[in-house]
Amino acid sequence: MTNAGHMIIFSLVIGLVGLAVVTAAQEEDPATVSAALAPRAEGLVIARCSVCHSPDLIAQQRLPRPRWEATVEKMKHWGAEISDDETDLLVRYLSARYHPGAPDHLSPLDSELRKAEPLTQEPVAEGPLTGVAVRGAGIFEHNCQGCHGTGATGGMGPKLAKNPILKHEDLFWETVLHGRGPMPAWGSVLSRQDIADIHAWLLAR
Amino acid sequence: MIISRRSLFSRILQGLGVSLIVNQHLPVAQAAGEESARDESGPLIVRVTRPFDAETPVREFTSFLTPNHRFFVRSHFGPPPPEAVSEANWKLRVGGLVEGSHEFTLTDLRQMEAVTITAVVQCSGNGRAFHRPKVPGVQWERGAVGNAQWTGVRLRDVLGTAAVQAGARHVQFQGADRPVVASVPLFTRSIPLKKALHPDTILAYEMNGRPLPILHGAPLRVITPGWMADSCTKWLTEITVQADESTGYYMQTAYRLPTTPVEPGASASGQSTPVEAMVVKSLIAAPQEDETVKSGPVAIQGMAWSGEAKVVKVEVSLDEGKTWESARLIGEDHPYAWRQWQLVWNPRTAGTFTILCRATDVRGETQPATSPWNPSGFLWNGWDRVSVTVAL
Ligand code: HEC
Ligand code: HEC
Repeated sequence: MTNAGHMIIFSLVIGLVGLAVVTAAQEEDPATVSAALAPRAEGLVIARCSVCHSPDLIAQQRLPRPRWEATVEKMKHWGAEISDDETDLLVRYLSARYHPGAPDHLSPLDSELRKAEPLTQEPVAEGPLTGVAVRGAGIFEHNCQGCHGTGATGGMGPKLAKNPILKHEDLFWETVLHGRGPMPAWGSVLSRQDIADIHAWLLAR
Repeated sequence: MIISRRSLFSRILQGLGVSLIVNQHLPVAQAAGEESARDESGPLIVRVTRPFDAETPVREFTSFLTPNHRFFVRSHFGPPPPEAVSEANWKLRVGGLVEGSHEFTLTDLRQMEAVTITAVVQCSGNGRAFHRPKVPGVQWERGAVGNAQWTGVRLRDVLGTAAVQAGARHVQFQGADRPVVASVPLFTRSIPLKKALHPDTILAYEMNGRPLPILHGAPLRVITPGWMADSCTKWLTEITVQADESTGYYMQTAYRLPTTPVEPGASASGQSTPVEAMVVKSLIAAPQEDETVKSGPVAIQGMAWSGEAKVVKVEVSLDEGKTWESARLIGEDHPYAWRQWQLVWNPRTAGTFTILCRATDVRGETQPATSPWNPSGFLWNGWDRVSVTVAL
């Protein structure tokens, strides 16, 4: 093998060791882990965990990882809409930020971290989208029904069926993509096509 | 007029004078949930903004009766929509192991003999925040308890009208409150027939002489004097007389205690039994935590109660429990109400002092320094503790 070859392998090994060290350090330091995961995890807490109760119920717990695992499983069983990947991320985040040794009063998350990161890496669609109402029904049920009620007739969130906002598309998109007050932002959770499908389904109600 | 649940909710809060910092425009800060619920200066300390759970600041407990707007609030799903519990639409149905099935309107109930009982109502999780290791659930500290006058009809009079059949052993309660997502189990609870037929178990439509407020279960709630509040179903609409305990999460999994002690931190397994009677407990209402008092006589006061037994002694310690001095029991004395107590303390030196109190009931049960750990953090009754500074 050439010297250059040795060099490449050598740097690869060093690189891997370096990576492992960084990962281990992160796993050990809850603050680093929670800061790293916060952008995505906080988005999930708002969109998925705030359907049935406000997130202050979550933030006041101080639990070890097995109890967080059991809690998130219980919530899934009751209807929290989270995938296995999202569950894993949430459990890591919650057990890093709200562990038994964490102080009662945690310092707020860095404002930089508050900008939720996209959960779906989908290119922003170009041109107008045509919504498919049949698909929209299912997406609505999984993401919106908890707050806006069966058939979009209203619940903790306003009635959306026959809501004038459906005719003001820019306002509708603005609200759904970026959220408003207690209404979560969906821009990082759903694709544009998903939102167009929900819109089409709502219009047909 | 149609009121959305949300605007109704904000109105209820405004009515309560609760200064809610719900961070409506900062959803992420709310998710982090750090400071929103920690305002201790209002009439209630908010623990969960939705569904609304809030406790009474302990300083309010210097009064014998806890006013309605200061009374702690706890529910699993929040109040039902106002239409569901309006006087025009509301009905109480009684069925199961009874002769025929029966319906009562509020007018029907008001025509029956009315009884008034002064009773403590306390959340089973009151004090959960003090268990170590910490346990999941609403982190109640000291104020998820209150003492009020409840007026209504005896449950046994309602059941008597319906004639209970042989084989009946339990009475199930269902309220009109519903979870936002239908896959969440309903809050369905039952109590043994013996407690249901006790002459002091009532269905209350008034609280402290006023119509029952919506947050406290209007138009009708169960009051099981001496028992924890998980038996005191709010927004009651259905009573079912049955052979067995209720099935479902809130009766078979939640609100239960292990029958044999568990290792602190272990998870629940093995036999368990429903939380029922309250345990002996006392609180210090004055002075308050972190208060600075002047030297000279200081009135230490508070209240003490024990589920189905009378409180006979309250003691105070100023040396971390090495020696105890008996306080004077004062004020009104009713079977299920709390008893007020007072002790005059004469601090002679300046500095920081910790005041402890503990109560003993007629059966000889005394408050322990800390309560036995259990996985859901129920029945906390460790010595109450307040630190004050004495300034000369
Ligand atoms: C389908 C409704 C629903 C969703 C969605 C939901 N929860 Fe819950 N959650 C509940 C109910 C019901 C309770 C019990 C509330 C009570 O006792 O008042 C609860 C209670 C809790 C508690 C308190 C501890 C306990 O076990 O009672 C925590 C912590 C919690 N949820 C975390 C979460 C997290 C994290 C998520 C997102 C993954 C989530 N919840 C999503 C319904 C839900
Ligand atoms: C956690 C609860 C919650 C979830 C989940 C939720 N919403 Fe909302 N939504 C709300 C609330 C609350 C409002 C009212 C916001 C306000 O008061 O400004 C709202 C408002 C809206 C509005 C504006 C209505 C108007 O009259 O201005 C639209 C549109 C909307 N939501 C669409 C959706 C869609 C689409 C979804 C699913 C992808 C969804 N919401 C999921 C709570 C929720």
